[in-house]
Amino acid sequence: MAKTILAVDDSASIRQMVTFTLKGAGYEVIEAVDGQDAFDKASHHQINLILTDINMPRMDGLKLLELLRKLAQYKNTPILILTTESGDEIKAKGRAAGATGWLVKPFDPKRLLEVIGKVIG
Amino acid sequence: MTELQSVSDKLDNKSEDKLALKDNDKVICNNAADEYFMGIKEDLNQAERLVSDAVNNLVINFRYISKLTESHHEMVLAIERMTAPEASSSINELLEKQMVIANQIEQELEMVITSLQFGDLVAQLLAHTTRQVEMLNVELQRIDRQGAWQGETERKALDSIHSGISKAVEVVKNKSKKKPVVQQGMQMGDVELF
Repeated sequence: MAKTILAVDDSASIRQMVTFTLKGAGYEVIEAVDGQDAFDKASHHQINLILTDINMPRMDGLKLLELLRKLAQYKNTPILILTTESGDEIKAKGRAAGATGWLVKPFDPKRLLEVIGKVIG
Repeated sequence: MTELQSVSDKLDNKSEDKLALKDNDKVICNNAADEYFMGIKEDLNQAERLVSDAVNNLVINFRYISKLTESHHEMVLAIERMTAPEASSSINELLEKQMVIANQIEQELEMVITSLQFGDLVAQLLAHTTRQVEMLNVELQRIDRQGAWQGETERKALDSIHSGISKAVEVVKNKSKKKPVVQQGMQMGDVELF
């Protein structure tokens, strides 16, 4: 059975590129437009990996990360951050909040699939 | 008394002139600043719309090209399967070349995925710039209302206006968030697993 990835980004073009890349590799993809939308969808689906942006309206990626880690279902689920930010301070915040990895935009489709393959197979 | 009255009248007129000048300056400064910043904001919104439009079209084109490539690839495989084993070496060679080209197209399409993300980076930069402009405008209006230039003469009034604008710029610089995008080009970003 195909693994399901939740792709979270307020940019429609980023969501489309991520979905295209992941579906092409055989993953099921659920899209969310911000942290709140992602949290709602994660609560109602079985998600194997979450790929989220940081800077989003309503709820940002770090807040989403914190809330998901409090749910038993997502305590150990891989959560990758995909963002334009690359500063040490923000990375440290992400790591402290429970992020599994940090990818800087623009992403390369092959490398994205490699990293995802490493964390969920 | 008459002389005193005359002097008093002159002083009153001057005060009224000054008030009128101060009020005029205020109105001119507020309207001019408002219009200026509204213009900048509209330019930024326009840039964002153009980028969004271009990216949407490019994504549509990309997906269509990708589908066509997939169909082409499948046709080549079908032809290969239909080709009799005793087919000439030149036909087989052509089929091999087709496969090589198909693979190259796939690689190029993967690079397009990276390039198309420029829309997101530009949108964030534009939003950041728009916020900067808005914050500056709000500060200028605030300084206007506080009446930073209570000076008696026109020179003092203008000095105060300049001082007010400088203060506003300083406040905005201190309140600004860090710029979210520092990329100078579209080279792929780093990956780090924790």
